[in-house]
Amino acid sequence: MNKLFKNNSKVSKSVPVKLSSHHLLAIEGMQKTEIQKLLDRADHFANLDKNTDTKYLSGYVVLNVFFENSTRTRVSFELAARRLGAEVINISLINSSIKKGESLLDTASTLNAMKPDLLIVRHPHSGAPLLFAEYLSCSIINAGDGRHEHPTQALLDALTIKRRVGYLEGLKISICGDISNSRVARSNIHLLTTMGAEVRCVAPSTLMPSSLEKLGVKCFNDMNEGIKDTDVVMLLRLQNERMSGTENPSEREYFKFFGLDETKLSMASPNAVIMHPGPMNRGVEIASALADDTNRSLIKTQVEMGVAVRMSIIEALNHSKNKT
Amino acid sequence: MTHTIFKSIKLINPATNFNQRVNVIIHNKTIMNISKDLNLEKFNKDNQTIIYDCEGLTMSPGIFDIRVNIGKTENLKFTQITAAESGITSMIILPNQTPKLNNPSIIDHIKRQSEDINLPKVMVYGAATKDLNGLEISEIGLMSEMGAIGFTNGNKSIKNSLVMRRLMSYATMINRPIIQHAEDEDLSGLNQASTTSVRGEMNEGEISTRLGLIGIPACAEVIMIERDIRLAKLTGAHYHVAHVSTRDSVNVIREAKKSGLNITCDTAPPYFSLNESKLLTYNTAFKLSPPLRSEDDRLAIIEGIQDGTIDAIASDHRARSKDTKVQPFSAASVGASGIETLFSITLDLVHKKIIDINKAISFLTINPAKIFGIDSPSLEEEKLADFIVFDENEPYTIKKENLKTSPTPFDGKKIRGKILATYINGQVAFMNQIFKNKIIK
Repeated sequence: MNKLFKNNSKVSKSVPVKLSSHHLLAIEGMQKTEIQKLLDRADHFANLDKNTDTKYLSGYVVLNVFFENSTRTRVSFELAARRLGAEVINISLINSSIKKGESLLDTASTLNAMKPDLLIVRHPHSGAPLLFAEYLSCSIINAGDGRHEHPTQALLDALTIKRRVGYLEGLKISICGDISNSRVARSNIHLLTTMGAEVRCVAPSTLMPSSLEKLGVKCFNDMNEGIKDTDVVMLLRLQNERMSGTENPSEREYFKFFGLDETKLSMASPNAVIMHPGPMNRGVEIASALADDTNRSLIKTQVEMGVAVRMSIIEALNHSKNKT
Repeated sequence: MTHTIFKSIKLINPATNFNQRVNVIIHNKTIMNISKDLNLEKFNKDNQTIIYDCEGLTMSPGIFDIRVNIGKTENLKFTQITAAESGITSMIILPNQTPKLNNPSIIDHIKRQSEDINLPKVMVYGAATKDLNGLEISEIGLMSEMGAIGFTNGNKSIKNSLVMRRLMSYATMINRPIIQHAEDEDLSGLNQASTTSVRGEMNEGEISTRLGLIGIPACAEVIMIERDIRLAKLTGAHYHVAHVSTRDSVNVIREAKKSGLNITCDTAPPYFSLNESKLLTYNTAFKLSPPLRSEDDRLAIIEGIQDGTIDAIASDHRARSKDTKVQPFSAASVGASGIETLFSITLDLVHKKIIDINKAISFLTINPAKIFGIDSPSLEEEKLADFIVFDENEPYTIKKENLKTSPTPFDGKKIRGKILATYINGQVAFMNQIFKNKIIK
């Protein structure tokens, strides 16, 4: 049985994934099998030698449209698209059209008129990529919208865990920090619970969103309790730009109670790994030495997996559009 | 002289608790006769008599809508015409329009501008504080003399407790109510600069968490009401809470009424017919203030309607342009159209057997009149013919493309009940083709 599964898995890795939608807007609502296939295909890309020809998408035009600052996500998408042979144009709209008063939809339809195949959108407002998907004809990838979702981050986190630990189902995973303001947390919660992991959320009560347990997770205000016997400790950045100054007394107080250090980590399973979507605040969310501990920290692997995961998604969206 | 006869119509007159099938004869702008028997022969000879066959139709006083925002997408006349088509014969407009209704001369100007005998009567809430700034009391005595019917800060709450105390105290001298949009705006994040991303956007709970939108806790409403009730007790003022939306608010108002305080309130159709789950697709037509609440809150509003804690139903009309609504949810404007759906959504309470038709009509007519101490409209002989004719059962689907104001939170809703004609001051202000076809002579 096990052998059969492995064989099947190998077959699925060699072809592009077909999804039920030609957009990737959110993890919430995605089927387990779709996630599984995307991860398998990404795993295949991650195993390839850098010089392997993967230019399956020549002539495919990708617009990387960022309404919010980003370095790693933007570069990761660009690399993924280029490795697939697509043409990529980066557009930063943080200071241009918005300031001129053009509406988001006008900006979007202007870009659409240039007939791209794919728009990768990052936007400070939750739900903005849905608006693009409703009005534009090309595929849309949500590269992070407000506090809502960051689906590719969750997929790359899952791939990182799978490659290290081997599986997701039944794994104990603690997501710690600024859950309220984190789209990474929401996408990870949906993905990991869908895949059968046991997800716990650890945050100060001021950064724990209302009724979070209804998303199928256990909530903790005590980090020692929240990461007890856990297999993965996933840390989140404190998003000060999304706070009003009433959430957190100080960075040093935050580090005392919610920053990951050796003492707190000793509560977790002996082989527990550490993750962080970056950019990280050393000495606030994580002790600097732990971040650099290559035996425990998967932070650099996360970045590496980002390219492979995004390749599998871009390819899948193209494939799904052609077939529908 | 012309007689208009409404043959065999169900007449609902809440003021006299009347609900019977009768014949109504209108002559010289007044109701000449209401009777069960009708001798048509006498009128058949008269060429100028018009007879409508009203079998299956209903007549009631016209709707008094006590909360209408005239926004940038409308002007007064347009709103009046749309209101007439929706069965509204009088309405109160809010001061937060451009220019603000914050001094006696502009109140007088609005009164004169809207004085079309054939359109719904327009009444005005004056700005409670100068420039609606919430800091200094405006000339509410002078505005009151010009006809302002009550005072409010519109869609922002009167936040400062001292200002509210003084307002209430002063208002007792001129016998006018203070109308409050009850919201602790610090708690809901609305006092933050508009550039920060911590402003409340929807009701706080599981759905705001899923959507990654900023939650406004339901208690932001009752906190303000509780404070105001204490100030109303201190000053003896008539305090009116607009668009009540939560269970706690209904409970607190119920208790305050029991204790004998002069407190009234209204709600609007979205709060008894919709809940926060409508927001799951980020549809900005549902971005309202107060926000759509939980199902439990919605049920409490219905209980408040049933037991009379809630006095009136208002449209809370706040039409918005498409440009400001086709936006990411956080950037979209707040508010939705209301006057065109007020009647049918309220009648839906009757079809769902939540309240009877007499009570539903009361919520839209005599109850709001009582709040403001205005003579209750009554359909009796020798009174001015001011009424609406409707079909209680006409089924149809509300479609946004068929409405004149936008956005509607009721797009696609299947309902029953349609306004066919509106008479204002004895004259036809609106009559649709269905009713015109009812003519037998």
